[in-house]
Amino acid sequence: MNDHTTRVRPDWGLLLGIGFTFVTLGVTVSVLVLERVGSESKTVVAAIVVNSATSQLAYLAVRDVGGGILAALAAGWIVASRFGLLAAGLSSRLEVGRWHRALIGLQSFDPNVGVAIQQRDPRDVVRVFWMVTAAMHIGWISGTFVGVFLGNVIGDSQRFGLDAVFPALLLAVIGNLLRQRPGMVAALVGGVLCAVLIPIAPAGLPIVISVFGAVVALKVRPVGASQ
Amino acid sequence: MSWTLIFVLAAGVSLQRLMGMFAGGAVLARVPVLARLAALIPAAVVAAVIVQLTFASGKSLQVDPRLAGMVVAGVLVWKKAPIVLVILAAAVVTALLRLIGG
Repeated sequence: MNDHTTRVRPDWGLLLGIGFTFVTLGVTVSVLVLERVGSESKTVVAAIVVNSATSQLAYLAVRDVGGGILAALAAGWIVASRFGLLAAGLSSRLEVGRWHRALIGLQSFDPNVGVAIQQRDPRDVVRVFWMVTAAMHIGWISGTFVGVFLGNVIGDSQRFGLDAVFPALLLAVIGNLLRQRPGMVAALVGGVLCAVLIPIAPAGLPIVISVFGAVVALKVRPVGASQ
Repeated sequence: MSWTLIFVLAAGVSLQRLMGMFAGGAVLARVPVLARLAALIPAAVVAAVIVQLTFASGKSLQVDPRLAGMVVAGVLVWKKAPIVLVILAAAVVTALLRLIGG
C-alpha cells in the first residue's frame, strides 16, 4: 500500500458494526430468497455456499422478470466479478502460502478487503482480513437463520431502514481512502460511471466498469507526494 | 431454484474470486503501476456498490429516503464517528423518512 494511506484499526466498534450489518443483510436476503425458493434448507445452504448476497439477488431478479436460467446465472456471476477485482487488489499485499491465499480469495468481500488493504504491515493485512471476515460470517449466518425462521414475524425489513445499513457500512469502510485525493477521485469516478450505466447496461456490468475510476485516479498525485 | 443451480451459481462466484486472487494478482504484481492501481480498485468498486445500493431500483435510478440516510452516514464518516453510530443513524433516518412519507 502507498505511504499516504491511513490505517484503520479493527477495534470492537468496527467488528460490532460489521457483524450487525451482516445480521441485517442476512435477514433481508434470506427473507427474499425463501419467498422464491420455498425451502428453508436451500435458503440456508445457498447463503453459505454462494457466499454472495448480490449474486443470489441478481439471479432471482432475472428469474422474477421471466428471464431464463442461463441469463439469471450470468447476472449472478457478473455481479460477483467485483469480488475477483477486490481479490486481485488484495493479492499483492499478501505474504502467505498458496492454500492460505486461496482461502482468502474465496472469502474476498467489500468490507474485509476494504479494511485489510489499509493496513501497512503484511501480517496485519492477513490478521485484520480474518478478523473482519469472522465478524461478517457470524452476522451473515445468524442473520440468515433469523430471516428463515423469523422472517414472517419481522415483516418488511425496509420499514426499519435496513436497506441503508449495508451502503452506510461500506461508506465507513472506505472513509479513510476517501480522505486521500487518489482514493476520492477513484471513488467519485467509479460511482458516477456506475450511476450513468445502471439504466443502460446489464445488471452487474456498471460495477465492473467502475474499475476505470481507479485508472483515472492513477493520474492524481497524493497531497505531499514528491515530484 | 434447484440444488444443482445453487451449486453452479456458487462455483461461478468462487471461480472468479480465485481467478482474481491468482491470475489477476499475478498480473498486478508484475507491473508497478498496476500495483498502485490495485490499491485504488477497492475505493472505485466499493463506491460503485454504494451508488447501486443507494440509487438503483431495478434498471432505473431514484432518489428516496435511502439517500438521506447515506448523507447522514457520510457526514458521520467524515467526522470519524463510530461505525455503529454511522449505520444506526443511516437506518433510523431512512426509516423515519419512510414513516413520514407513508
